[in-house]
Amino acid sequence: MLKLDKLTRRFGDNLAVSDANLTIPDGQMVGIIGRSGAGKSTLLRLLNRLIDPSDGQILFGDNDIARLKGKELRAWRSDCAMIFQQFNLVGRLDVVTNVLTGRLHDMPAWRTVAQVFTPRERAFAIQALDRLGMAHTALQRAETLSGGQQQRVAIARALAQEPKILLADEPIASLDPMNAKVVMDALRDINRQDGITVICNLHTLDTARSYCDRIVGMQDGRIVFDGTPDLLTNAMAREIYGAEAEEAFNEAATSTAIPTSEPVPARVPA
Amino acid sequence: MTDIPMRGGSAGASGDAPFDAVSTFERHRAELKASKRVWNMLTLGAFTIALGLSIWISNFYPERLAEGVPRIFEYFATILPDLQWDQLFEGRDAQGNAVPGSITFWYTDFWTYVELLLETILMAITATLLGAAVAFVLSFPAAANLAPNGWAYWFSRRFLEFCRGVPEILLALVFVFAIGIGPLAGVLAIAIHTGGALGKLFAEVNENASDRPVEGITAVGGSWTERMLYGVVPQVMPNFFSYAMLRFEINVRASSIIGFVGAGGIGAELNRVISFYSDDRVLAVLILVILMVTIIDLISEDIRHRFIGKENF
Repeated sequence: MLKLDKLTRRFGDNLAVSDANLTIPDGQMVGIIGRSGAGKSTLLRLLNRLIDPSDGQILFGDNDIARLKGKELRAWRSDCAMIFQQFNLVGRLDVVTNVLTGRLHDMPAWRTVAQVFTPRERAFAIQALDRLGMAHTALQRAETLSGGQQQRVAIARALAQEPKILLADEPIASLDPMNAKVVMDALRDINRQDGITVICNLHTLDTARSYCDRIVGMQDGRIVFDGTPDLLTNAMAREIYGAEAEEAFNEAATSTAIPTSEPVPARVPA
Repeated sequence: MTDIPMRGGSAGASGDAPFDAVSTFERHRAELKASKRVWNMLTLGAFTIALGLSIWISNFYPERLAEGVPRIFEYFATILPDLQWDQLFEGRDAQGNAVPGSITFWYTDFWTYVELLLETILMAITATLLGAAVAFVLSFPAAANLAPNGWAYWFSRRFLEFCRGVPEILLALVFVFAIGIGPLAGVLAIAIHTGGALGKLFAEVNENASDRPVEGITAVGGSWTERMLYGVVPQVMPNFFSYAMLRFEINVRASSIIGFVGAGGIGAELNRVISFYSDDRVLAVLILVILMVTIIDLISEDIRHRFIGKENF
């Protein structure tokens, strides 16, 4: 169970995350929504300590994640995989090595320096890739892949970590609807089949509604909504998104809903 | 200004609306130009003063130049070989003596020179490898965006500055004094300078590396070393290689000079023929040195281009 207690992060005078309290049981799929700048990314980055909190606690079991340092911090990061909007793969390394970096934490130092991976580790990485339908690209350079393919490799890297929690920071914001659906389906499969907690920042409402067990709404650094998708009324959502409401409701832009025969709703001019 | 066809709100609003985008931009641009003008004038003034001072101090006057130039040719006249057409390709006679006026006579010590040139190249290779290894290790803490902490950054920066700040020839003198005459002193001197110079260049390459892969490796729980090895090294390796090859070319030139202070290579021989004979042997050595440097430059440039070409498909 992951528990945030009065978690706060300031950037100068600006409160990026303010007094966030949240309890997430194991195995839940949580979507965090809100307009740009609401603090979604900061919250996620606080969880795996890519950003250090200014105040408050992050409890995982009995561990206060906010206080971890050095080796223990790295161990936590390897337990808490992260998927980024821009994938953050090493473009010049081949795909399988990118996935194998997910195993770095468990490897002895000399092997990481010499880049020696055991056949067992390689097999593990290939299986993770195969699960996402990317095994055939294993020896290609990561930068030669398309965005959707790179994101699937990034998920395979996360799987190679055998994480307890999977964080996804706008995983589909740079993808077209088709790839967005593939990626979201993969995240849901991982959540359902492996029982891994998935916490996912999303910009579009319908994606959050159709994939997540629970939706957390953020506005100006504060958590203003927390509940199941059916509790999130349109009026509530409009308030969370403010001026970006039209964009967030518009399913044609960066959405996982692939239009079949019904016409796409016309885009409302800004 | 208005004959540019424009779509959107600003069309037609040419000047009379004080807050439209075009006039705001033009005002901003004019301000920027004015502030740059003052700066340019100051720079130009400072440059002129510096140029004047350097001419005055170095005595770079036309009449001195006119006096000096002919003497350069006078010197070259004394080191020209006295080659005779009819004896040019004469070999050695029965007693093993070369005929004056033949190439054999001019290049009596040819194989000594070749041996020394080879030593020079090997010195450059060793020094470049050693220096590049030091530069590689220190370039990561010396990059502002990658340094693990302020201390590591400060120390690696200062160390690299020291290494490239001391002239090679001075280091060579110290090493010749400490470990004796020979190529080892030269190799160490050039290696230290190379480490400092390449370390700075490598660190700058590192500072331009994208931090996204680095963040990716951080998020999988990678240590600082792992972040560097997996996140940064694959991005910067082609550039490192290219800079190291360039440095190798420079080091070939450096190691042909460093022998002047007894630190091995062809320089010792060049020094000897200049100070003892100052005759055609000087030219004999010079021609070989220039040939070697040119050939090494050409080969190295070819390798560099081939390497970069392959990396970029």
